[in-house]
Amino acid sequence: MNPIDTQVLALVSANARMSADDIADQLQISANQVETILKNLETQGVIVQYTTVVDEKKLPQRSGKIKALIEVSVRPEKRTGFEAIARKIAQFTNVVDHYLVSGGYDFLVIVEGDSLEEISSFVSDKLASIDNVRSTATHFIMKKYKEKGILIGQQPKEERLAVSP
Amino acid sequence: MKSDFSHILDTIPPSGIRKFFDLVIGAQDVISLGVGEPDFRTPWAIREDAIFSLEQGKTSYTSNSGLLECREAIVDYLARRFQAHYDPKTEILLTFGVSEAVDIVLRSILNPGDEVIVPEPSYVCYTPLVQLAGGKVVPLNTSDTQFIPDPDQIARAITHKTKAIILCSPSNPTGRTIPKDTLIQIGKLAREHDFWIITDEVYAELTYDESFQSVAALPNLKPSTILLNGFSKAFAMTGWRLGYVCGPPELISRATKIHQYSALCAPITAQYAAIEAVKNCAKDVQDMRESYKGRRNLFVKRLNEIGLPTLLPEGAFYCFPDIRQTGLSSEEFALRLLKEQRVAVVPGHVFGLGGEGHIRCCYATSLEELKEALSRIKKFMRSLK
Ligand SMILES: Cc1ncc(COP(=O)(O)O)c(C=O)c1O
Repeated sequence: MNPIDTQVLALVSANARMSADDIADQLQISANQVETILKNLETQGVIVQYTTVVDEKKLPQRSGKIKALIEVSVRPEKRTGFEAIARKIAQFTNVVDHYLVSGGYDFLVIVEGDSLEEISSFVSDKLASIDNVRSTATHFIMKKYKEKGILIGQQPKEERLAVSP
Repeated sequence: MKSDFSHILDTIPPSGIRKFFDLVIGAQDVISLGVGEPDFRTPWAIREDAIFSLEQGKTSYTSNSGLLECREAIVDYLARRFQAHYDPKTEILLTFGVSEAVDIVLRSILNPGDEVIVPEPSYVCYTPLVQLAGGKVVPLNTSDTQFIPDPDQIARAITHKTKAIILCSPSNPTGRTIPKDTLIQIGKLAREHDFWIITDEVYAELTYDESFQSVAALPNLKPSTILLNGFSKAFAMTGWRLGYVCGPPELISRATKIHQYSALCAPITAQYAAIEAVKNCAKDVQDMRESYKGRRNLFVKRLNEIGLPTLLPEGAFYCFPDIRQTGLSSEEFALRLLKEQRVAVVPGHVFGLGGEGHIRCCYATSLEELKEALSRIKKFMRSLK
């Protein structure tokens, strides 16, 4: 990746809907160049997906997703170590993020569902029952303050004077 | 007797910016390109250190020149960042923003009738403060040299009464920076004719294409240089009111004398915040700089596309479009743009000679607002045809 690629990536990471023209003019390159760079980053798998940060509290009642962090301890398998178990867990549609971490447990799995029940049954039926999963600890998310670097639910108010020296 | 106010003061008109501000206040749904400050909040790490200092009960006066710890931190920063070297004990004074620094520096050096060369268009406080200090402003119109002061023109303006020149780079209102060669030539004149260079470098951190050249870092110029800088723009700290002046001890001791009586000391909370700013916030400053730079590139390119010739400014967060082909004066242009399309800009004439025929636009506002402003300006331009 060259420095321009990095700058394009920074702009779309902050705002995936920024137009190629707007990116181009900010970086003093052409819109065609932007399209090419984005295409390349996509095909190389650098850009995996364009997503959205949502404040579920603003959604109509009950249409919001319930989210939980699950700490998972496993017994690594012969030859494949963590990989085989990790791949099994990551495939589930309820799983939105999945990390191998250092420290007191092995995987941090972030799951989403429509209800508490859905997540509970996912944990007991799907996750805890996988061979070599030794234990799980589930933490339901109660309130979001910041996601993907963005403060949630705090509207910064413009306080500057409209005209100043 | 009471109705007889300060005569010098009564000869100074109120800032043209204020007048415009009052007009904008009443209007609805206005996009303002008239601001003169960052659209970022002070980085949290800085605010947090200030809060911590309050929890610790740091609420007293400090020494007149400011906490030594803060002066040391600033001096280290100036050396590291701009290769300007000062003694924290005798060559720096912390002030209420660059604004106070300009005032007390002028009062420290001027005697009645002394002349101060001010390349214009310029930031609005220099001329009134020179006048209040009893000096005489010698304005130079820089519009023929694309708003970069011209050493030959300066040479012609020098008299035996010339006491100082005030430089501002990157400039408010034009965003232009003065090239190193030009600074060296101006420095040569200052040494030959024995006058001060007062250099307002409050936008130094906001230089986008090349690294910033401080006047104080040029060879042999330190004894002639009075360096002004502060936290308002680089660290998004306008409301904290902290700036500083660096210069030879004989100047700093005099400025401190005025400061001691008229201000006592700069706010202590701001001083603690400043220590964190200069020590640990280079990354925040870098991020803000990148963000301004992107907006500058987009905004200036599109102004040119909609028919307002605009130089790409090297720094600050202003650009200075040329509106002469519209046939309107800058005041008419600004008033009509505000009334007809609800976009506020500052008419160039308020910045002195050479400002007429231009408007100052500040691009430190969100990309969405800039784009909306561009589309309104475009409509306005069409309506003039
Ligand atoms: C060139 C210039 N100097 C000084 C100031 C005042 O800065 P401070 O907030 O440090 O008083 C400003 C603010 O707009 C400015 O543009």
